[in-house]
Amino acid sequence: MKITADGFEFDFTDAIDVFVFDEKDKTKPGYHDAQMMKAVDLIVELQECYLFVEMKDIFDTDRYIQSQERDPCPRENRQCPHELSPFKRLKELSKYKFHDTYPFRHAEQKVDKPIRYICLLTFENAFNLHMQKTLQQELPVGRVSRRWQSGLAESCVVVHVAAWNRLFPKWPVRLLA
Amino acid sequence: MLHKIKLEKFTAFESLEVTFSSGLNILIGANGTGKTHILKVLYAACDITKSKKSLSEKINKVFLPSGEQIGRLAKRKTVSTEGSVEVIRHVNNPPKPIAIRLRLSNHTKTPDKATVSGAFKQWLAHPLESVYIPVKDMMANAPGFRSLYELRDIHFEEIYADIISRASLPLLRGGVDTPRKSLLEILQKAMNGKVIQKNEEFFLKNEQGELEFTLLAEGMRKLALLWLLIQNGTLLQGSVLFWDEPETNLNPRIMKTIVEILLELQRMGVQIFLTTHDYIILKEVDLQTRPGDDILYHSLYRDPESHEIQATQTKHYLEIAHNTIDEAFGDIMDRDMVRSMGTLGR
Repeated sequence: MKITADGFEFDFTDAIDVFVFDEKDKTKPGYHDAQMMKAVDLIVELQECYLFVEMKDIFDTDRYIQSQERDPCPRENRQCPHELSPFKRLKELSKYKFHDTYPFRHAEQKVDKPIRYICLLTFENAFNLHMQKTLQQELPVGRVSRRWQSGLAESCVVVHVAAWNRLFPKWPVRLLA
Repeated sequence: MLHKIKLEKFTAFESLEVTFSSGLNILIGANGTGKTHILKVLYAACDITKSKKSLSEKINKVFLPSGEQIGRLAKRKTVSTEGSVEVIRHVNNPPKPIAIRLRLSNHTKTPDKATVSGAFKQWLAHPLESVYIPVKDMMANAPGFRSLYELRDIHFEEIYADIISRASLPLLRGGVDTPRKSLLEILQKAMNGKVIQKNEEFFLKNEQGELEFTLLAEGMRKLALLWLLIQNGTLLQGSVLFWDEPETNLNPRIMKTIVEILLELQRMGVQIFLTTHDYIILKEVDLQTRPGDDILYHSLYRDPESHEIQATQTKHYLEIAHNTIDEAFGDIMDRDMVRSMGTLGR
């Protein structure tokens, strides 16, 4: 299943369904009409899980600025991302996109399989490892409360395009020019 | 300014030629790709302009092959081997390149039997101040070491005695100029004090008193050493700094300061050669580089087919090929990914 979003083209060859989750086009059936909530870019349904996919091409300056403008200051109880360092801003946005997508999907009654979060960021390995560790702690990954019956996120990984293609050969991705 | 090195059947090298920048040269590569050997040859070539030793003698002392048999520096083969090194530098008055060469075979027993050729007299006629900071700290062991090294046959590469000598030099006449003052202030802030020497022993002096180097963290000793070399005028315009793995024993947070100092020294006209295995150093150089800086990344690697050492160069961080440091992070990332995602997508 091929899909294009935010300057990336994917082919999820073993997917049951793939769609743009933060759809802005009101005429499309998948329009994200709860504008007060943030949203990850893509959702992929596989046999065994859902993938929440968030992409950012940091080196595509125009597109990155547009994406920042699309993300208004979050609710009052959260620190405004515009006041944060670039790393923290990106981390907070990636985190809150997951945090808002989860209840939206819960309300859709679409959290019936484990959820895995993949962030596709065009950074180098060391930065991605740092971002991955921070997101794993803050999402959080796994069942962190004794009262929980399941975790919010089964896993969270942060990769660049080359690593994605190396590690997920069934889901090739390319950056569109 | 050192311009080029050519190595033929010397130590680990079959045949290699590397051209350098007049500013900051950063050598990366896996263990055993000869980064330190390149630094040692270049350092020996610089040091003889001041010490007036023969190139073969200095190279022998700096490498310290077993039994001090210089022939052991020829590349090991099952047949007789002739090896050579050639160093080319640019000099002024008049401006031109000059070269010196050392040729030896695996049968050469003593340095005086090795052949030194090239523009040796001109080479010595243009003194080049240089300093080699080795991986292991020697400053805490300074008291008595130099005299012991001079008088007894102790098994230490000469770089260790040399660095103590350089650090112990008295101040240059005329005081410390403004650019060096600002560098010293950066270092003083980072190590919270100044360095003083009493009877060959080094101390860090601050508000709490005088702390001997043996009680000082090894990372702090490195900052202190840099402070001494800047303060006593060893590192001035036209000098050459060789630093083998600056990251050793240093907390990554201090790298920002180290790189700041290195780039400022480069801007002052110090030619710098450093080897590293450290991502933070590479990234700090990338982040702190300004237009006009002269940075060259040298990546040493073994050719997958011939297994011989080769080198690539680039001025741009993102274009570093055979980047073993990034590859190591990539390997960790891949294994972490497999742990998180299992066989999904594969």
